[in-house]
Formats: sequence, C-alpha cells, structure tokens
Amino acid sequence: MADSDNDSGGAHNGGKGSEMSPREQDRFLPIANVSRIMKKALPANAKISKDAKETVQECVSEFISFITGEASDKCQREKRKTINGDDLLWAMTTLGFEDYVEPLKGYLQRFREMEGEKTVAARDKDAPPLTNATNSAYESANYAAAAAVPGGIMMHQGHVYGSAGFHQVAGGAIKGGPAYPGPGSNAGRPR
Amino acid sequence: MDQNQHGQPTQEAVGKNQYQSNPMMAPTNPPSETIGPYVTSSFPREKQHAPQDIYQEQLNNFWAKQCQEIEETTDLRTHSLPYARIKKIMKADRDVRMVSAEAPVLFAKACEMFIMELTMKAWANAEDHRRRILQKSDIASAISKTDVFDFLEDIVPRDVGIPRSSIAQNFDLSMPPHQNVTYPPYYVPAMVTGRPIPDQNHHGP
Repeated sequence: MADSDNDSGGAHNGGKGSEMSPREQDRFLPIANVSRIMKKALPANAKISKDAKETVQECVSEFISFITGEASDKCQREKRKTINGDDLLWAMTTLGFEDYVEPLKGYLQRFREMEGEKTVAARDKDAPPLTNATNSAYESANYAAAAAVPGGIMMHQGHVYGSAGFHQVAGGAIKGGPAYPGPGSNAGRPR
Repeated sequence: MDQNQHGQPTQEAVGKNQYQSNPMMAPTNPPSETIGPYVTSSFPREKQHAPQDIYQEQLNNFWAKQCQEIEETTDLRTHSLPYARIKKIMKADRDVRMVSAEAPVLFAKACEMFIMELTMKAWANAEDHRRRILQKSDIASAISKTDVFDFLEDIVPRDVGIPRSSIAQNFDLSMPPHQNVTYPPYYVPAMVTGRPIPDQNHHGP
C-alpha cells in the first residue's frame, strides 16, 4: 500500500483513512483537511454531514484532474513535458475560474521568491540537486513567459461570473446608464 | 372662486414634483427603481434580504479576503492540503508526464478556494431550506446552479445509488431530482431579477 502521508506535513489521516481502501485513499485529499476548509466557509453554528464532506472530496479531485487535463493538453501542443504554474493559471482562465487567477498569481510569485532563497541557501528540499536545478531553469523560463501570459489572461477575462469583477462591470453599467445587453452578452463562450 | 384657486396650486405642485423628480433620479439612482439584471443584483435591497444577495456579498468578501490573505502569507509551508497527494491526483492522468514543484503548491491554494466557494454556494441552499446541516443535496444544488461547475455534474448523481462507504448508508439522505439547466446559446450571467425562487428548476435569464 502506498503511504503518501509521510511528506504531507501535519495532515493526519490515520483514523479517517481506515474508512477507505488504500487505493481510494490515493484518489482523494484527506477528508479532515477538506472538512476543515469547508468549516472556514460556513457560519460557526453550521454542521456538515459526512455525505457532504465525501462529495466535496470527490469534487476536489475532479477539479484537479479537470484543470490538469487542460494544462497537459496545452503542454503537449507546445511540445513541453513539464506542467508549471503558469499552465495551471492559463487552464483555470480557459475553464472559467478567472476569479482564482489573481490570488494565485501572488501566491505563485511568493513561492518562486522563496524557492530562489532556498536555492541560494543549503538544500532544504528532499528533491535531488538535479531536479532542483531543473526547476530553477524552468522557473527562469516561467518568468520570461510570465511577461506574455498576463496580457493573454487579461484578454480572456471578458466575462466574470458572480464575482467582484462582475461588481465592477455592474458599476460601469450604472454610470453609463442601465444598458440592457451589457458586456456580459459580449463574452460568448462555447460550452 | 375658492375652489378654483385651490385647484391651481395643486396642479402647480404636481408639476413641480414631476420637474424635480427627473434630476433627482439621475444622480441618485435609487435601488428600488433600478432596471436591468446587473444593477438589480449588485445592490442589496433593503426590502427583502434575498439569499442570492447575501450570497453575493459573501462571495465578494471572500475574493477580497483571498487577495488580502495571500499578501499576508509569510510561510508557504503552512499549507492546508498535502502536496504529495495533489501530485498523485495530477499524475493519475497518463498524459501528464512531469509536474513542476510549483504546481502542487499552486493547486493547494486553488483547491482551498474551490472548496470554500462550493461550500458557500451549498450553504446558501441549506439556508433556503432553513437547515443548519450541510448535506449532499446542497452540494448538488450548488453544482447544478453554477455554470463553471458543469464538470462536476457526473459526480453527484453517481453517489446516490452507490454509497462510497458503509457509514454513508447510515445517513437517510435522498437526492432531490434536478434537471440539467439548458442555457441559451450565448452565455449570459445567471442573475436573478425580482424575487428568486430557490426550488425552481428552470432557473435562468
């Protein structure tokens, strides 16, 4: 049986993991972590049924596979072998998760800065030096690619569904008078 | 004579009101008289606290908080989700060959936002039904009501007939039947105009 919890930090899945078979355990994120995140989104007096937790567990795995599949297709078209952060951000934009991209850009930038510091300092990672060097090379390429990608991402963000971006659109509509067609109808997207 | 004199000031007053109302409406644009789906949905109406408005406010706060939270994040090691497991799920796809070190880190944050967004939308459904326990049917409702969650449609019905674990059988939960909403050819944001009816299946512009 594959025990992938060794390098997952503080995630303790022993008790709850016994409810799932080892193979199923690898397909989902730990239910304790998922449950904790769900509670952050709910009022203090809210409760979550076991069924709901398991459903969200499956939804998250599907989300990862969904985004990864799109990013992988892009890498294959561009004849690259490694999926990087920018590929994932592009895939999220393409698949309708524009709201996620802006927070994640900051997150990714911070991670790259920390990786730079790690490389200078002695190796803190478990990865072998070769992989670390490879990642550094890819990160250098990513920085160059990042200059072009944001523009593309911005162009794709024609329509934002139910988000702060939409609020801005609504604000614009108010100032210019209630325009019924609005920019929403311009963002035609094939399903 | 008196009646005539009384009549003229009345008409004059009405005229003044009509004249004054036009410039007043333009700059202030009162929420109760706004038209158009965007405007109506953007402003919280004091008359009725519709769940959609509450949810919209929560979502806006959520996204603003995410950007703020990331700015305040100092240590990326305090992650909510295990990187190794994320990487394993990514590599379950045989087409996926190599994954850079930053990909699982990025997904850890993305999945956290995804879980919170899905949960908030599901909770709106639970509140509509005056419940304080989030159930699978709430998740299913949130998925069916959200366009970007179309890829999850296959997941929810499958679990109804085949419970994943024995403990799930203890719950006496049944999935309410819901139809797949057919959207018009061009994509228009599903904004509610007027009073939203949560149980309505045909929910669209």
